[in-house]
Amino acid sequence: MYSDEVLEFLRSNGVEVGDLVKVKSGGNTVEGELMPGTEANSPDVLVIKLANGYNTGVSSKGARVEKLKRASKEARPFPKAHLGQRKGLPKVTLLYTGGTIGSKLDYKTGGVYMLLKPEELFYEVPELSGIASISAKQLFSISSEDMSYLEWQRIAEEAARAVSEGAHGVVVTIGTDTMHYASAALSFMLKDIRAPIVLTGSQRSSDRGSSDAFLNLICAVRLAAESDIGEVGICMHATSSDDKCAFMRGTKVRKMHTSRRDAFRPVNSKVIAELGSTGAIKYIGRYRKAVQSNGAKPVLGFESKVALVKAYPDSDPDLINFYADKGYKGMIIEGTGLGHTPVSTEHEGKSWLPAIKNAVENGMIVGMTSQCLYGRVHPNVYRNLRLLSNAGVIYCGDMLPETAYVKLGWLLGNYDAGKARDLLAKDVAGEIEERQEYDEFPNDVFE
Amino acid sequence: MKGGAQGVGAAAALDYAKLGFMCGLEVHQRLATKQKLFCACPAEVTQGHGSGTIFRYQRAVAGELGNVDLSAQFEEMRRRKFIYNLYEGHTCLVDIDEEPPHPLNTEALEIALSVAAALGLKISDELEPMRKEVVDGSNPSAFQRTILLGTDGAIRLDGHEIGITMMSLEEESAGISAATQDSITYDSDRIGIPLVEIDTDPHIASPQEAKQVALHIGTLLRLTGRVQRGIGTIRQDVNVSIKGGARVEIKGMQKLDTMDRFIENEVLRQQRLLELRDELVRRKASVGEVHDLTKQLSGTKAKIISAALGSGGSLLGLALHGFSGMLGAEVNPGRRLGTEISDYAKMGGVKGLIHSDEDMNGYGLTDDEAATVRRELKLKERDAFILIAGANDNASKAIRLAADRARQALVGVPLETRGVASAETFTTKFMRPLPGGARMYPETDVKPVGITKEMLEKAAQDAPDIAKERARLVKELGNEGLAGMLMMSQRLQIYKMLTAARGSDREFIANTLLQKFTELRRAGYDVESIPEGELSGLFRMYAEGKLTKQAVEEVLKELARGKRDAAKIVKAMGLERVSGKALASLVDKVRKEAHGISGKELVQRVMREHRLNVDGAELNALVDGK
Repeated sequence: MYSDEVLEFLRSNGVEVGDLVKVKSGGNTVEGELMPGTEANSPDVLVIKLANGYNTGVSSKGARVEKLKRASKEARPFPKAHLGQRKGLPKVTLLYTGGTIGSKLDYKTGGVYMLLKPEELFYEVPELSGIASISAKQLFSISSEDMSYLEWQRIAEEAARAVSEGAHGVVVTIGTDTMHYASAALSFMLKDIRAPIVLTGSQRSSDRGSSDAFLNLICAVRLAAESDIGEVGICMHATSSDDKCAFMRGTKVRKMHTSRRDAFRPVNSKVIAELGSTGAIKYIGRYRKAVQSNGAKPVLGFESKVALVKAYPDSDPDLINFYADKGYKGMIIEGTGLGHTPVSTEHEGKSWLPAIKNAVENGMIVGMTSQCLYGRVHPNVYRNLRLLSNAGVIYCGDMLPETAYVKLGWLLGNYDAGKARDLLAKDVAGEIEERQEYDEFPNDVFE
Repeated sequence: MKGGAQGVGAAAALDYAKLGFMCGLEVHQRLATKQKLFCACPAEVTQGHGSGTIFRYQRAVAGELGNVDLSAQFEEMRRRKFIYNLYEGHTCLVDIDEEPPHPLNTEALEIALSVAAALGLKISDELEPMRKEVVDGSNPSAFQRTILLGTDGAIRLDGHEIGITMMSLEEESAGISAATQDSITYDSDRIGIPLVEIDTDPHIASPQEAKQVALHIGTLLRLTGRVQRGIGTIRQDVNVSIKGGARVEIKGMQKLDTMDRFIENEVLRQQRLLELRDELVRRKASVGEVHDLTKQLSGTKAKIISAALGSGGSLLGLALHGFSGMLGAEVNPGRRLGTEISDYAKMGGVKGLIHSDEDMNGYGLTDDEAATVRRELKLKERDAFILIAGANDNASKAIRLAADRARQALVGVPLETRGVASAETFTTKFMRPLPGGARMYPETDVKPVGITKEMLEKAAQDAPDIAKERARLVKELGNEGLAGMLMMSQRLQIYKMLTAARGSDREFIANTLLQKFTELRRAGYDVESIPEGELSGLFRMYAEGKLTKQAVEEVLKELARGKRDAAKIVKAMGLERVSGKALASLVDKVRKEAHGISGKELVQRVMREHRLNVDGAELNALVDGK
């Protein structure tokens, strides 16, 4: 959006975005199409697209603008794909929730246009027409960081409906930053659904020719259409190359890089399957098999008064009192190492122990995970750990902090406190593994 | 008209104004900054070995205004795999599209703005970073980041004003290290080095003037002292058209010297294509159907065909009605219309094509088989055909491309980007359709840059000035001719570096860099390959009186042969200068040996035996003094 200053300038000159204009400013005369501004532009600058395709910024201060041609109001028809839908392919439901994957950016309005009709989608990703019979639905358009349990519930509901209506699998396109929270939530909410529920997204938006969205989408649809996996998981690039994607269990996966294509990694677990745009799906880790015509109902309850808190040196234990006072029913601590918080009385007021004891006594469920992410927490190795576990903190095995957070919210939303406390450290949807093997820890940097 | 004044072959006679000759240049120059344009990698190409590879595919996506660019679509159709060699220390995640760009390199902006000021460009109030879509893999992000700096400048050449339409600051692309039909391997170290592009208006009057303009802009850039030197660091693309023809961009001309020859040939090519067009139209020619001839020629002994069919491929034939004799018509030295069509077919992933203006027997096709083809394609006497053999997908892609190009022959000259076909005959070949304006959209990851008054003042202050520099050189060298040559040469920067040392012999250095280098190059010595560090070492030794002028030449020859370390070469070859007392005792020795020898004879004898070690002037002074 342009600043108020520029908007007023445009209004007073009767010029709109999209008009062909001639602007005289200082010694310069610029002719071209008036483009929309962004918050990054200086408050006095007009952005003009020249005939050679470049945008250039012209100051509106003391400028004179002349409209040469009005903006065309016609909507541009979407180009049709030549490819028709092949018959007899497995049914896949595509649920859009946001992000740019499976969408087109409208540079004029800045809006995102979802490709809901199969022919639009096939125009962008023609390979899909040969993989599955796709029906697409847009649930909402929400950024990763703005997702809440309300969206997870809606996605779960829609995915369950699609499966009970005969879809072989479901693909959910979703923003990547909190994708692993969503995959954990769906894993719990859809725990009895024995169909591939595949979450995918992109690290490079699909309006760039180098986007990872194309391969991610193709592989996700392939998994939903062709695999016999009966679990919720994330399907994203396995490496930086456009080689293959990995399918990772929804409760054992985490975004481990801000920007790389292969940002998602299984933690304390192996990849379930690997696949490319063609060829066989390679099954690697164990998984639950799909069972067709499975009409299980989703378990959608969620208690949002659950917090995820990180323990760190010199941290203030009042943090726990803050949540307790607000009536929070559960808390997952991302402890240090094997699952510590400060407990020493040496530094006055720095021990978390009194606050934790108090919270637990007042009925809050407190779970412990590790900020190491890799490995398992342990309640007994050190005395300080025993102090915490004696205070009633539940040690959550090798469960990821984010997964534990989502799990506790889901448990408290569907079960009474006693049952929730009981289930927190037990495996419900593949989130806790009894065994960890040597090669489940990355060591690329030493090679 | 200046055109053709030098007299180069058939083109010499062309009247460019009458032809409606339009010609503009795009000069690309790498800047010598510490870091790349949008990341902290060093802005240099490494000599090191790769530390791994990744590969990607790219797709054409719509531009900002909703259109997909033709050249982008074309590249996507080819569906090639792009492999990137990674270089430790020279490739980071930004280069391989795994991390968003860092803010614009201000050092690069400063250099670019100083050049923009020198070109009299109107600099934008705010610079808007853009993405220029390029899906040939040359950038892993599938676009090149580019920023328009300004428009509407000019340079003056012998009274003729050439407009500079625009200048941009952009990222260098990846360098091709290997290519096959299905994949291209790129070196990623080059990606992101700052590059400026300077475009002239299309009113360059002749091929010779194009060369002069390129030389002028190159000189201006080098005068900043802040641009990279060496092979590939400056590139000139030319846009050429004639009346009735079409704009064609020629890329990849390595040498400025022969640029005019390429332009002349492009003019000829467009003329010939228009003549052929007229004849085809007169004949009411048309492009017919594609037929699958796999079965009919399954038993052929023709190698190209049988090899393809043997591995399960197919043979496709295309009827070209009224094209007989046209495919074999020459459009450029050694290149026919058939060659032009074949270049398109190759993009489909086949080795080439066979056309009916060629000798069928030469391909191993019998007269009967040729007759079968004609019969199957239902050809009349004036009709021609094209045969393409290859893997099924490739053959059908290739013949579609060939048919498209043949259809263009009925219209005239296609809009193309062309690359060098032969540096010996100065001919070009099709690379891809000319990109349109549809391939630009905003780079939202980089903040627009507001141009302040201070930045403009600094740019004006730093702006390179050819006239001023020339005057300074004339004064310094006291030799107008030498100064002028040095100005226009690529070696001005080296000259400045070499003469920065105290007591350096400027005229000798200038002469060596200009005349001596040219002389040695003509004699087959690769003087361009000598590192600058070696040159400064060599001239330092000379300045210190350790070498004679003649010995400098000998060391240069060794350096050009790939030997390194001037001091070592001098020692190994016994090139140390004999001077002062040592020379005096040498003279005494000769005088004793040849009693009564005249001064002149003495000098001659010493020089004959110790030419490389003795400085003639010193010897003369010594002998005259005695």
